[in-house]
Amino acid sequence: MGLDIIVGIKWVPNTTSVNIDPKTGTLIREGIPSVVNPHDLTAVEMALRLKDKYGGTVTAISMAPPSAISGLEHVIGMGVDRGILASDRAFAGADTLATSYVLAKVIEKIEKYDLVIMGHETIDSSTAHIGAQVASWLKLPYIYYATDIEYEENKESIKVKRILENAYEIYRIKLPAVVSIAMHTFEPRRIKVSNKLKAKLENVIEIWTSKDLNLDINCAGLRGSPTVVSAIDFVPKVPRKNLIFQEKDPKKAAKWLIEKLLEEGLIDP
Amino acid sequence: MKDIGQRFDAIIIGAGPAGSTAAYHLAKKGYKTLILERGRVPGSKNMFGGRVYIEPLKEIYEDFEKKAPIHRWVKKERISLMYDESATTIEIESTKSTSFTTYLTQLSQWMANQAVEKGAILLSEIRVDKLYRENGVFKGVVVEDERVLADIIIDAEGINRLLLEEAGIVERLSPDHVALGVKEVIKLDGKNINQLFGLEDNDGLSWVLIGDITKGIPGGGFIYTNRDSISLGIVLMLGEAIKRIDRHIYLLVEEFRNHPLINKYVRDGRIMEYSTHLIPEDVFALRPPKLYYNGLLIAGDAAGLLLNQGYTYRGVDFAAYSGYLAAKAYDYAHNNGGPTEENLREYTRLLENSFVMKMLKKFSGVSKLMKKERLFKTYPELINIMAGKLMHIEYDSYKIMEALKEAKKGRVGWISLIKDLWEVSRKL
Repeated sequence: MGLDIIVGIKWVPNTTSVNIDPKTGTLIREGIPSVVNPHDLTAVEMALRLKDKYGGTVTAISMAPPSAISGLEHVIGMGVDRGILASDRAFAGADTLATSYVLAKVIEKIEKYDLVIMGHETIDSSTAHIGAQVASWLKLPYIYYATDIEYEENKESIKVKRILENAYEIYRIKLPAVVSIAMHTFEPRRIKVSNKLKAKLENVIEIWTSKDLNLDINCAGLRGSPTVVSAIDFVPKVPRKNLIFQEKDPKKAAKWLIEKLLEEGLIDP
Repeated sequence: MKDIGQRFDAIIIGAGPAGSTAAYHLAKKGYKTLILERGRVPGSKNMFGGRVYIEPLKEIYEDFEKKAPIHRWVKKERISLMYDESATTIEIESTKSTSFTTYLTQLSQWMANQAVEKGAILLSEIRVDKLYRENGVFKGVVVEDERVLADIIIDAEGINRLLLEEAGIVERLSPDHVALGVKEVIKLDGKNINQLFGLEDNDGLSWVLIGDITKGIPGGGFIYTNRDSISLGIVLMLGEAIKRIDRHIYLLVEEFRNHPLINKYVRDGRIMEYSTHLIPEDVFALRPPKLYYNGLLIAGDAAGLLLNQGYTYRGVDFAAYSGYLAAKAYDYAHNNGGPTEENLREYTRLLENSFVMKMLKKFSGVSKLMKKERLFKTYPELINIMAGKLMHIEYDSYKIMEALKEAKKGRVGWISLIKDLWEVSRKL
């Protein structure tokens, strides 16, 4: 009974504190702490709500270096039952195709699952590819921008509500399926002591390497990644003028602001 | 509300210097210790200016000076009185050092790791909602709908004492009892730092600036050199700042950074971090009525155990040492029948006999000095004007007393000046 759910999470540099090296065009990751991609926490919250309502299990999966264990500990702290980290030097340098391939292989190996839930996109690359690609590898139906999922037990299907610009659509999808959750749909729940203790003490996190997975190593990591970044263009740096309106009258402030914007040619008279 | 399955000997709230040091010593003695930290990692919620005095830490951590994340040894101290575009500076340079600069995040993580290595369990991202009390005895903590029980709770939650407030032990913080520290960390090349400040290798500088950079508000500016960055910021007595500043406090730091005498040091740098934090100031007003209760000890900033010496703060060593003593006190209580209030009184005895309380008493007059505007406005002005008269020679030259007389004209009378001098020399 219940739903066995897999949630994908990505361990990303906290982009609010990342700078780009203007010479090399690469992210300066030195000393930048990583976090679980916030949109994935929304997906975890959806999975946990389904578990609360219908029972079952939630397994979080990720492909990342071993430091991502703290990310899995985080979601286990929220109530996820088990974490699987696909981690291998051969997985490094992957684009979305190679990443989704490895994740699909992880899901295949888990075997017993009804539903895969992903975040909308990641904050460090924002491609929103992974959900669709994982579904393609697994040949499963996929729906995105979901804001709610209802399980129809006897029918072995789910009803998914998805959001469009100014409408909702409701789909009925046969399980197993892949769903990605629209960002900001839920506030992720707090971490509990008992759950976090479990994450630390009960070996609920496994690390799977390429040897544990039945995969073609040429499709993983850098070798499996056809994407080439040909160049990164920088937005030219405009020196900030740092003007600050110091009075408190909002009318004057608005007038002042309009004048400044006109001066800069940023708005039309 | 349900109890989680496990029970601990000790729960430590907060993985800062006080909490982690307490946990380290408890775990070392074999106590089953749980540290609960609100931030993502230890050190993500705390902040300091930039310097730590090492002697007490050498006593409580093995091989501290070899293993801890030390950036630079402070061998150059500067104290400047600022007025307008001039500064009168005392510089003390030595080949010896008793303090070092570091990032508090790194030091906090290092301390927490020491505790974990000794067997403590560290759970981050856990916000404790409440202390759990039964018949007047503290027995655990509440997180969401769960209760975690332990023999002793050590509250090292920091200056923002929401748990102690909730438990009715302390009142809400008053702005008059705390200062506000605002800081930028500016990335610079290590070699560049050495050149700019005349340093060698991993020698460091600590620089305190007093005067109109705080617009006459009691407080001051500071600069510390880290390995490859500098920490620059200001400290303001919060009560005064609220009354007298009607713009964003950030602008004061910005003006300080752009001051013509300061800007040359940071011009090539890049701001990496901006942070702000409260600092215990009137520690006697802040201190909880007691630091020990049935099943509860209070350490670090939460206990108001931070020393303001006027020209320097001692926060980290005081906090860590109080954590160390809290662990000792619990050990004593445990071996003498349990953590009753009577047994835990040992904590206060240990504190009273240590440098912590002795120094806090010795410098108890400083918080009064910190309210004297003349020290932060008039005298820096006076000294710079006087130095200007003596040094900026055009046709006529001044004698010292002549320059002093001119400088103090309309600013302060002889009697006040002598009284202030007497007061400062007694209290600092």
